[in-house]
Amino acid sequence: MDYILEVKDLRKEFKNFTIDDISFKLEPGYIMGFIGPNGAGKSTTIKLIMNLLKKDGGEIKIFGKDHVKYEKEIKDRIGFVYDENYYYEDLTINQMKSIVAPFYSRWDNNQFNYYIKEFDLNPRVKIKTLSKGMKMKFSLAIALSHHADLIIMDEPTSGLDPVFRREILDILYNIIQDDTKSIFFSTHITTDLEKIADYITFINEGKVVFSKSKDEILESYAIVKGGTDLLDENTRKQFIGLRETKVGFEGLTDNLNNIKSTFGNKVLIEKASLEDIMVYSVRGKEYVRDY
Amino acid sequence: MLGIIRRDLMLVWHNKRERFFIIFYIPFLLLILESYEPSWLYLTILVAYTYLLSIIPFSYDIKGKSQYIINSLPITRKEIVFYKYLSTFVYLAVIIVYAGVYLWIINRMGIKTVDYFDLEMIKESIPIIMILTSIVYPAYFSFEPKIAQIIHVIVFVTFFIGIASLGSLGDKSIVSNMEFLSGRGMIYAPIAMYIISLFLSMRLYKNRDL
Repeated sequence: MDYILEVKDLRKEFKNFTIDDISFKLEPGYIMGFIGPNGAGKSTTIKLIMNLLKKDGGEIKIFGKDHVKYEKEIKDRIGFVYDENYYYEDLTINQMKSIVAPFYSRWDNNQFNYYIKEFDLNPRVKIKTLSKGMKMKFSLAIALSHHADLIIMDEPTSGLDPVFRREILDILYNIIQDDTKSIFFSTHITTDLEKIADYITFINEGKVVFSKSKDEILESYAIVKGGTDLLDENTRKQFIGLRETKVGFEGLTDNLNNIKSTFGNKVLIEKASLEDIMVYSVRGKEYVRDY
Repeated sequence: MLGIIRRDLMLVWHNKRERFFIIFYIPFLLLILESYEPSWLYLTILVAYTYLLSIIPFSYDIKGKSQYIINSLPITRKEIVFYKYLSTFVYLAVIIVYAGVYLWIINRMGIKTVDYFDLEMIKESIPIIMILTSIVYPAYFSFEPKIAQIIHVIVFVTFFIGIASLGSLGDKSIVSNMEFLSGRGMIYAPIAMYIISLFLSMRLYKNRDL
């Protein structure tokens, strides 16, 4: 199987934080959401993939090739959007475009003009005068204007209004209709991923919690609700995360059979959302009482 | 390489403060260094402008993480460093034309008698520019931008103090003042320094976390 992005045992050590043996794979034609709480290592992983940070161990292959050895060739086929605007603020949209465009072998001016019009951007205004949403639109226009095969985005929808977020998601969805292209994007707005992602990689404290297909994840986790009288030391252990209130408890499980055999039909079982999975996994057993 | 040069020149020209500097630094130098001989002034302008034009684009990395953008484009870190070192000579050529036209206008208007083209001083400026940038480029490619900025200020101020000391020697000819730059050693030493600096920068930048 040829993967468009393959990360294996990735390791990077900082003074107070370590990215520890991160592994995941993304096939062509799919969208992978990269989720995790703030400080989990999402942006660091993306910077390692883009070779902005140097890895201490492991392997990163993009389009089947080593990301450092074939850096130039690989980056010609990557469109990137970062969480902040790193473009030169004193330049106008057109001036910035004229700096970036010559670097790409497949730069498409018509495509760029199409997105600038579509996103309602004025190419003659300075980047520093743009709102956060406008800056994100501009970054996206650049990323989508050189026929990239892999789009890497770091929190592209954070701070954007729901209308524009939906607009971005629609654009991304259209891109992967071409089976050769893929999208890898980090976010903590998990509802966005529920709409369009095929795979989810969840990291916490620099480690991968899971990297699976979205359907598999949503099928394997469940939210269990019941009265607090059902809980004791043993039954509490069956939950990944648990929240107890005066009126009852709510917990996340990935072992529904165990829950059913323990509680029978004394509990209510509901589908878990990605947000439930992320929140309960991060807070875990430490987050036990809410009253 | 054209991409890097285009970026540098656009950054300098489209920032109001830098544009103000580019336009008014020549009259400023002419004013504060009034008593010095024309060829010495010409040399100072060439070196100061070329050096600053090479260094100013780095300052954008202090305000933001703009180096993320360049390093995410299809260009290797080695190429970024190599083109930067090569671009110094392109900037010198640009400044020779720019300063030439500017000073010629000043001459024609009768504001001040200054050299606007002096091949001898152009030759003298090259080793000085190479030495200055040999020190400062590796600092920008290996240290945090703020530390590099401090090194840049020290180097630039040292250059000015040095050149002002030479200028203040009075009637002695500029060529004799600059004798220390005209030996054979001063042809090879800056070249060697520049090449060593280039490889050092490539090595340091290659392994740097941005």
